[in-house]
Amino acid sequence: MKSTTAKIGLVLWLTLVICAAILFPMVPAPEKWYEFPIIPGLEEKARIIFFHVPMAWTTVVAFVAAMIYGIRFLMTKNLDYDLRSVSAAGLGTMFCILATVTGSLWAKFNWGSFWNWDPRETSIFVLLLIYGAYFALRSAVDVEEKRATLSAVYAIIAGVTVPFFIFVMPRIMTGLHPGSKGDPQGAGPVVQFKMAPNMLLVFFASLLGFTLLYFWLFNLKVRSSRLELQQQSQE
Amino acid sequence: MFDFLADHQLYIVMLIVLLIWAGFVIYLFRLDGRISKLEEMIQPKPDQPVAEKK
Repeated sequence: MKSTTAKIGLVLWLTLVICAAILFPMVPAPEKWYEFPIIPGLEEKARIIFFHVPMAWTTVVAFVAAMIYGIRFLMTKNLDYDLRSVSAAGLGTMFCILATVTGSLWAKFNWGSFWNWDPRETSIFVLLLIYGAYFALRSAVDVEEKRATLSAVYAIIAGVTVPFFIFVMPRIMTGLHPGSKGDPQGAGPVVQFKMAPNMLLVFFASLLGFTLLYFWLFNLKVRSSRLELQQQSQE
Repeated sequence: MFDFLADHQLYIVMLIVLLIWAGFVIYLFRLDGRISKLEEMIQPKPDQPVAEKK
């Protein structure tokens, strides 16, 4: 995400996604291309899928990126990879918190309470704890290279757990969340089983937009961290 | 106008979301511009890795 045109394109893309996700009407029997069918049990609340799921997806992208940069740091001992790894982990944690908050708001209106210790909620909570510990570990070590090595190893181990907590555990356990084992549609992915083609289109457009937004944020975070490091080394 | 918004509450939701989104985008563009300016001021070019262990 370096050119201004690409950034403006991304902003327009996500603006269109926001408008479509919020304004397209939900009707029992869709006739026009822009009408979404009502999903039983979700109704208008189904619109959260266009924001909440891409946030969770971006979390996975960021944590996997943190793991990859951790591996590259251990291979090269280049501190720039440590900087990228911690930037990715920070953004991943931010998106994870956003996914948790939006999911919790949705749970209040669909399940009646903000927090229910559903397998999906529990797994994302554990994930937040794991990455909270990552930042605690980093702040506990003062020596730059030792901190980078320890956190790279930790980022790799934590990254391995991410697919399990996001994709596997909530699907093999009975829960309230759509797509879990007790769900009437089966334990498969929610989006393929329950979404009409036009909903899928908006959903994947949102997924792409959020992923690109992550890369823009990542670029800004890495560049600002480099400047901060340069300033510190000059002092 | 008031009746229209009362009947179409999703428009109010969209307006609020777009306002937040616009604020966030303006912040990102300003931040991007400021970082670029600082990068131009500071040498060597910050695209280079910060340090490398031999």
